[in-house]
Amino acid sequence: MDGKMKQELLDVFASKLNQSVRMYMDNCARCGACIEACHVYASSPETRYTAVGRAQNLRRLFEKYHKYSGKIAPWLGEAVELDDNWMKKVYETAFTCTGCRRCMTYCPFGIDTQQFQAMAKAMLIAADMEPKVLSMLADVSVAKGENIEATKANFAEACRQLEAEVIQKWQQEAGKETIPLDVKGAHVLYVALAGKHSIIPAAAIMNAAGENWSLSYFEAVNFGAFVGNPVVTKNIAQRIIDEANRLGVREVAICECGTAYRVMRHMTGTHDFKVITFLQLIERYLRDGRIKVNKAVNNGRTTYHDPCQIARNGGVYEAPRYILSRLTDDYVDTNPTKSANWCCGGGGGLVVVGDKDFRMMSAKVKADQVRATGAKVLATGCENCHSQLSDVNEHYQLGMSVEFVSSMAANALVR
Amino acid sequence: MLDKLFYFIMVPMVYVAVAWCVFWIVVKIVKILRAPTTPPTLRIFPDDKGPEDRNTGGLPAALWDTFTMPSVLKYNPLLWVFLVVFHVSLAVLFLAHLDLLPQVNIMSAESADMIGNGAVGALLTASILYFLFRRFRSPLRELSIPADYLLLFLIFLLFLSGDLISWGNSWSESGFGLAKQDFGLYLRNLFAFDLSDPRQVLDHPHYAIVVSHVFLANLFLLVLPFSKIMHVFFAVPMNALRRG
Ligand code: SF4
Ligand code: SF4
Repeated sequence: MDGKMKQELLDVFASKLNQSVRMYMDNCARCGACIEACHVYASSPETRYTAVGRAQNLRRLFEKYHKYSGKIAPWLGEAVELDDNWMKKVYETAFTCTGCRRCMTYCPFGIDTQQFQAMAKAMLIAADMEPKVLSMLADVSVAKGENIEATKANFAEACRQLEAEVIQKWQQEAGKETIPLDVKGAHVLYVALAGKHSIIPAAAIMNAAGENWSLSYFEAVNFGAFVGNPVVTKNIAQRIIDEANRLGVREVAICECGTAYRVMRHMTGTHDFKVITFLQLIERYLRDGRIKVNKAVNNGRTTYHDPCQIARNGGVYEAPRYILSRLTDDYVDTNPTKSANWCCGGGGGLVVVGDKDFRMMSAKVKADQVRATGAKVLATGCENCHSQLSDVNEHYQLGMSVEFVSSMAANALVR
Repeated sequence: MLDKLFYFIMVPMVYVAVAWCVFWIVVKIVKILRAPTTPPTLRIFPDDKGPEDRNTGGLPAALWDTFTMPSVLKYNPLLWVFLVVFHVSLAVLFLAHLDLLPQVNIMSAESADMIGNGAVGALLTASILYFLFRRFRSPLRELSIPADYLLLFLIFLLFLSGDLISWGNSWSESGFGLAKQDFGLYLRNLFAFDLSDPRQVLDHPHYAIVVSHVFLANLFLLVLPFSKIMHVFFAVPMNALRRG
């Protein structure tokens, strides 16, 4: 690493020292209370996989470049020089951590490892060391936002091709659009993922509820958040905010994608519309009697994996449980559950980055946890979790069926 | 020569250590206040709170988390017991030192005993030894840095030197050579910026032990602003961030 690059990285590091990070840097007691919190450590007990171990990778740089003690007696805080070798440690902080924030619930101070992860990711971007696939996908999302008019016709055509499959699940009244687009004054703007599995069940459910809705032209997933680029994260979210404002919708319902929900709901400030998860919308329809479901459709004991970004970091615990209580009489919670639930091991962009061996290794504790429920159906409410859990199911031969809650609800719709 | 050194430790160094400590604590706090603000929310949702739940418990909840450490109780009860014993004893120790002042009489003015009759020091010393020895075991050993051990060792010596004084006064027939009331006079002089030699009020061969205790306390104050003990000031704000 040449001097110029080193300075650039140190500048990025310094720019990330906000109030919370400064407090986290200085005040970790290294008490070790968070050691057992991390699913990676629980699956493979190496201290580099603990929350505090990861944070120390950055804390040692802080010691070296931002503390007098690091300059006078570097051995005291094990201060280190920033070099190519140390950047590997920085990579480890960023991409062996899913940002699930389970460790935060163990720490007596509530130190947020995701803040260290964000810092590490920013340094990796500056060093051009971030996983290129994430940056590429983020760039594609931004570009789509800039050229939306050019892609609208193709998107509408693609939606038309899905209509038959939506109708299979729910036959609309004559004259009503199956997948409405660009509906001014719609009550709900539904933001899906780039895949029909995220559009078809949702369309069937909203049509069954007689909702006045519109499908967003944009996909919900925020690769900017995965790659750790706050500017791109904001740009990607802004496309949806602009669309919601243009249509004048009352609510933006984010499909089953944890990061997309957390970014939109908790990290973009307040808006003229409400941001909810699609799970909350289904719950409301069921409670209000706007849709009916048939329990007989879903067979076998069912459990639910709380996606970290929707549950612990998003506050949505009851909606999926209520929906599942209407879909099956044989529901069992995982242990631990809700805010203490084990991360699936696929978050923070890890599913996309592609190191499957690491993902499977780190998910051992998850596999053990869901196996212990004796469930046949493993439901979840997040695309990332679904992908990861499907791999875990196969890798650990759990013999479960991994399902989206929305798909289960859509399959059980009755008049 | 030794007299001069003792005088330096007992009077000027105390003022320097206190001023240094206060100055750097203020600098640290200002540095944090002037840093860019944190992201919109770092909130974690407890099981009974939904996203629409604006009532996060606020400051009372952050205070509760800070002072009762429910997460440590849940996941590491033994550590929790020692942490609670340590912090409660520390608060009592602070009162016990205030009680040395002639104007403050928590214990009766004539009593030879510190508050707790030496038990507070014993609890603190036992806790600090627990904190130190648990670092010798894996996995905490790999995660600890030299500063962690040195700080604990410094605090251990500080407590031990204090214990010698209070245990001597409370637990031995002949008592420590200097009484609580003598320390009160020394402290009163310090508060009054009376720069006279403390030997005048602490005239006994055991004086060297008191000097060692004060020296260690001075060292502690000098390193405090640069150590993780700064969590005294930041534990509540950090917990408030988690509460949202
Ligand atoms: S629990 Fe918190 S204070 Fe303790 S080592 Fe982990 S991050 Fe540091
Ligand atoms: S955020 Fe999750 S993955 Fe990262 S260190 Fe904490 S528990 Fe482990």
